[in-house]
Amino acid sequence: MDWWVWVILAVIVLVVLLTLAVLVQRRRRRGRVIGLGGGDR
Amino acid sequence: MIPPSPTSAILLRARELAGRPVVTLGGELEAEIKDVVFESDGGPVAGFTLRNEGLFSRARKDALPWRAVHGVGRDAVMIRDVEQLVPAEELAPKKVARKGNVLDDRVLTDSGRELGTVLDVVLQGGAGLDVVGYEIEASEGLGTAGRRVFIPLPDTVAVSGENLIVPASAAEFVSEDLSGFGAAVDEFRSRLREGRDEGEQN
Repeated sequence: MDWWVWVILAVIVLVVLLTLAVLVQRRRRRGRVIGLGGGDR
Repeated sequence: MIPPSPTSAILLRARELAGRPVVTLGGELEAEIKDVVFESDGGPVAGFTLRNEGLFSRARKDALPWRAVHGVGRDAVMIRDVEQLVPAEELAPKKVARKGNVLDDRVLTDSGRELGTVLDVVLQGGAGLDVVGYEIEASEGLGTAGRRVFIPLPDTVAVSGENLIVPASAAEFVSEDLSGFGAAVDEFRSRLREGRDEGEQN
Protein backbone atom coordinates (compact mmCIF):
# COMPACT_ATOMS: atom_id res chain seq x y z
CA MET A 1 0.00 0.00 0.00
CA ASP A 2 1.06 3.57 -0.56
CA TRP A 3 2.40 5.48 2.44
CA TRP A 4 -0.54 7.89 2.47
CA VAL A 5 -3.01 5.02 2.99
CA TRP A 6 -1.16 4.12 6.20
CA VAL A 7 -1.31 7.74 7.30
CA ILE A 8 -5.07 7.92 6.71
CA LEU A 9 -5.62 4.63 8.58
CA ALA A 10 -3.52 5.86 11.51
CA VAL A 11 -5.49 9.11 11.66
CA ILE A 12 -8.81 7.22 11.62
CA VAL A 13 -7.67 4.89 14.44
CA LEU A 14 -6.50 7.87 16.48
CA VAL A 15 -9.80 9.70 16.02
CA VAL A 16 -11.80 6.61 17.04
CA LEU A 17 -9.65 6.06 20.15
CA LEU A 18 -9.90 9.70 21.13
CA THR A 19 -13.68 9.72 20.68
CA LEU A 20 -14.03 6.58 22.82
CA ALA A 21 -11.82 8.07 25.54
CA VAL A 22 -13.88 11.27 25.64
CA LEU A 23 -17.17 9.33 25.74
CA VAL A 24 -15.95 7.11 28.59
CA GLN A 25 -14.64 10.10 30.50
CA ARG A 26 -17.87 12.03 30.04
CA ARG A 27 -19.80 9.08 31.42
CA ARG A 28 -17.44 8.84 34.40
CA ARG A 29 -17.75 12.56 35.06
CA ARG A 30 -21.55 12.27 35.17
CA GLY A 31 -21.11 11.29 38.82
CA ARG A 32 -22.94 8.72 40.88
CA VAL A 33 -25.41 8.98 43.73
CA ILE A 34 -24.48 6.32 46.24
CA GLY A 35 -26.82 5.02 48.93
CA LEU A 36 -25.08 3.56 51.98
CA GLY A 37 -26.61 0.67 53.93
CA GLY A 38 -30.13 -0.61 53.53
CA GLY A 39 -31.01 -4.16 52.51
CA ASP A 40 -28.57 -5.97 50.27
CA ARG A 41 -26.44 -2.95 49.66
CA MET B 1 -40.71 32.33 66.30
CA ILE B 2 -42.18 30.22 63.53
CA PRO B 3 -39.76 27.61 62.26
CA PRO B 4 -39.15 27.83 58.51
CA SER B 5 -41.44 25.63 56.46
CA PRO B 6 -39.65 22.64 54.90
CA THR B 7 -41.23 23.59 51.58
CA SER B 8 -39.31 26.87 51.57
CA ALA B 9 -36.01 24.98 51.63
CA ILE B 10 -34.02 24.76 48.40
CA LEU B 11 -34.45 21.68 46.22
CA LEU B 12 -31.70 20.58 43.88
CA ARG B 13 -30.72 17.57 41.81
CA ALA B 14 -27.79 15.53 43.13
CA ARG B 15 -26.17 15.34 39.69
CA GLU B 16 -25.98 19.14 39.55
CA LEU B 17 -23.34 18.86 42.26
CA ALA B 18 -21.00 16.67 40.17
CA GLY B 19 -18.09 18.78 38.96
CA ARG B 20 -18.78 21.63 41.38
CA PRO B 21 -15.48 22.97 42.74
CA VAL B 22 -14.57 22.43 46.37
CA VAL B 23 -13.02 25.58 47.79
CA THR B 24 -11.62 26.32 51.25
CA LEU B 25 -12.67 29.43 53.16
CA GLY B 26 -9.12 30.60 52.52
CA GLY B 27 -9.96 30.65 48.79
CA GLU B 28 -7.91 27.66 47.67
CA LEU B 29 -9.42 25.30 45.13
CA GLU B 30 -8.98 21.78 46.43
CA ALA B 31 -10.95 19.45 44.17
CA GLU B 32 -14.24 18.83 42.36
CA ILE B 33 -17.26 16.87 43.55
CA LYS B 34 -17.37 13.39 41.99
CA ASP B 35 -20.15 11.40 43.67
CA VAL B 36 -22.85 12.22 46.21
CA VAL B 37 -23.05 9.73 49.10
CA PHE B 38 -26.19 9.49 51.23
CA GLU B 39 -27.39 7.38 54.13
CA SER B 40 -30.26 5.13 53.08
CA ASP B 41 -31.45 5.13 56.68
CA GLY B 42 -32.99 8.59 56.92
CA GLY B 43 -31.60 10.02 53.72
CA PRO B 44 -29.08 12.67 54.86
CA VAL B 45 -26.11 13.30 52.60
CA ALA B 46 -23.08 11.74 54.29
CA GLY B 47 -20.54 13.48 52.05
CA PHE B 48 -18.94 13.56 48.64
CA THR B 49 -16.19 11.66 46.87
CA LEU B 50 -13.73 13.91 45.06
CA ARG B 51 -11.68 14.11 41.90
CA ASN B 52 -9.01 16.46 40.68
CA GLU B 53 -9.74 19.11 38.06
CA GLY B 54 -9.49 18.45 34.34
CA LEU B 55 -11.17 16.29 31.73
CA PHE B 56 -8.97 13.22 32.30
CA SER B 57 -8.55 13.70 36.05
CA ARG B 58 -8.55 10.74 38.40
CA ALA B 59 -10.66 10.11 41.47
CA ARG B 60 -8.98 11.26 44.66
CA LYS B 61 -8.23 8.98 47.57
CA ASP B 62 -9.73 11.43 50.03
CA ALA B 63 -13.40 12.37 50.42
CA LEU B 64 -15.42 15.19 51.89
CA PRO B 65 -17.63 14.22 54.86
CA TRP B 66 -20.70 16.39 55.42
CA ARG B 67 -19.37 17.65 58.79
CA ALA B 68 -16.50 19.36 56.93
CA VAL B 69 -18.85 21.27 54.59
CA HIS B 70 -19.28 24.94 55.41
CA GLY B 71 -21.91 25.53 52.75
CA VAL B 72 -23.19 24.33 49.37
CA GLY B 73 -23.46 27.29 47.04
CA ARG B 74 -24.66 27.65 43.46
CA ASP B 75 -21.12 27.73 42.10
CA ALA B 76 -18.97 26.01 44.73
CA VAL B 77 -18.96 23.82 47.80
CA MET B 78 -17.17 25.62 50.61
CA ILE B 79 -15.15 23.75 53.19
CA ARG B 80 -13.53 25.00 56.36
CA ASP B 81 -10.28 23.11 56.25
CA VAL B 82 -8.57 20.44 54.13
CA GLU B 83 -7.54 18.72 57.36
CA GLN B 84 -11.13 17.51 57.72
CA LEU B 85 -11.07 15.42 54.54
CA VAL B 86 -11.21 11.68 55.26
CA PRO B 87 -10.02 8.64 53.26
CA ALA B 88 -12.58 7.78 50.53
CA GLU B 89 -12.67 4.20 51.83
CA GLU B 90 -13.95 5.53 55.14
CA LEU B 91 -16.86 7.44 53.58
CA ALA B 92 -17.85 4.91 50.92
CA PRO B 93 -15.86 1.68 50.60
CA LYS B 94 -15.27 0.76 46.94
CA LYS B 95 -17.48 -2.32 47.05
CA VAL B 96 -20.38 -0.35 48.56
CA ALA B 97 -19.88 2.51 46.11
CA ARG B 98 -19.95 0.14 43.13
CA LYS B 99 -23.20 -1.52 44.20
CA GLY B 100 -24.82 1.49 45.85
CA ASN B 101 -25.29 3.77 42.84
CA VAL B 102 -29.03 4.38 42.56
CA LEU B 103 -28.94 6.03 39.12
CA ASP B 104 -30.64 3.81 36.50
CA ASP B 105 -32.17 1.63 39.25
CA ARG B 106 -35.81 0.59 38.96
CA VAL B 107 -38.36 2.13 41.32
CA LEU B 108 -41.00 -0.31 42.56
CA THR B 109 -43.83 0.25 45.00
CA ASP B 110 -44.19 -2.06 48.00
CA SER B 111 -47.17 -3.54 46.17
CA GLY B 112 -44.93 -4.57 43.25
CA ARG B 113 -45.83 -1.89 40.69
CA GLU B 114 -42.98 -0.50 38.61
CA LEU B 115 -42.96 3.30 38.51
CA GLY B 116 -39.87 3.99 36.41
CA THR B 117 -36.09 4.32 36.32
CA VAL B 118 -34.05 6.74 38.42
CA LEU B 119 -32.54 9.61 36.44
CA ASP B 120 -31.52 11.75 39.40
CA VAL B 121 -31.98 12.15 43.14
CA VAL B 122 -33.67 15.24 44.61
CA LEU B 123 -31.99 16.83 47.63
CA GLN B 124 -33.50 19.34 50.03
CA GLY B 125 -31.23 21.91 51.62
CA GLY B 126 -31.70 23.09 55.18
CA ALA B 127 -29.42 22.46 58.13
CA GLY B 128 -28.11 19.56 56.06
CA LEU B 129 -28.87 18.05 52.67
CA ASP B 130 -31.51 15.33 52.68
CA VAL B 131 -32.70 12.97 49.99
CA VAL B 132 -36.42 13.70 49.54
CA GLY B 133 -37.23 12.15 46.18
CA TYR B 134 -36.22 10.67 42.86
CA GLU B 135 -36.48 12.13 39.39
CA ILE B 136 -37.57 9.18 37.31
CA GLU B 137 -38.35 8.31 33.73
CA ALA B 138 -41.92 7.16 34.24
CA SER B 139 -42.95 3.69 33.14
CA GLU B 140 -46.30 2.53 31.74
CA GLY B 141 -47.47 1.79 35.29
CA LEU B 142 -47.48 5.47 36.17
CA GLY B 143 -49.55 6.49 33.16
CA THR B 144 -47.03 9.05 31.95
CA ALA B 145 -44.63 6.66 30.21
CA GLY B 146 -41.34 8.20 29.11
CA ARG B 147 -41.83 11.51 30.89
CA ARG B 148 -39.53 12.85 33.58
CA VAL B 149 -41.41 13.13 36.87
CA PHE B 150 -40.53 13.53 40.53
CA ILE B 151 -41.60 11.00 43.13
CA PRO B 152 -41.39 11.71 46.89
CA LEU B 153 -39.66 9.42 49.37
CA PRO B 154 -40.47 8.61 52.99
CA ASP B 155 -38.05 9.55 55.80
CA THR B 156 -36.30 6.20 55.42
CA VAL B 157 -35.14 5.22 51.95
CA ALA B 158 -35.45 1.49 51.27
CA VAL B 159 -33.04 -0.01 48.76
CA SER B 160 -32.48 -3.63 47.84
CA GLY B 161 -30.32 -4.94 45.02
CA GLU B 162 -31.10 -2.97 41.87
CA ASN B 163 -34.61 -2.01 42.93
CA LEU B 164 -35.67 0.93 45.06
CA ILE B 165 -38.85 0.33 47.01
CA VAL B 166 -41.28 3.14 47.81
CA PRO B 167 -44.72 3.04 49.48
CA ALA B 168 -47.57 2.55 46.99
CA SER B 169 -49.09 5.89 48.05
CA ALA B 170 -46.03 7.73 46.65
CA ALA B 171 -47.57 7.36 43.18
CA GLU B 172 -50.38 9.75 44.25
CA PHE B 173 -47.86 12.54 44.94
CA VAL B 174 -45.96 12.55 41.67
CA SER B 175 -44.96 16.02 40.54
CA GLU B 176 -43.97 17.18 37.07
CA ASP B 177 -41.87 20.15 38.14
CA LEU B 178 -39.30 20.66 40.86
CA SER B 179 -40.77 23.92 42.12
CA GLY B 180 -43.96 22.24 43.32
CA PHE B 181 -42.23 19.11 44.51
CA GLY B 182 -41.41 20.34 48.04
CA ALA B 183 -45.12 20.61 48.86
CA ALA B 184 -45.72 17.11 47.46
CA VAL B 185 -42.98 15.70 49.71
CA ASP B 186 -44.49 17.37 52.80
CA GLU B 187 -48.00 16.12 52.00
CA PHE B 188 -46.74 12.59 51.30
CA ARG B 189 -44.75 12.41 54.54
CA SER B 190 -47.57 13.79 56.67
CA ARG B 191 -49.91 11.19 55.08
CA LEU B 192 -47.44 8.45 56.08
CA ARG B 193 -47.19 9.84 59.62
CA GLU B 194 -50.99 9.95 59.95
CA GLY B 195 -51.15 6.35 58.77
CA ARG B 196 -48.54 5.33 61.35
CA ASP B 197 -50.34 7.18 64.17
CA GLU B 198 -53.64 5.53 63.28
CA GLY B 199 -51.94 2.14 63.20
CA GLU B 200 -50.49 2.69 66.67
CA GLN B 201 -53.87 3.76 68.11
CA ASN B 202 -55.64 0.64 66.78
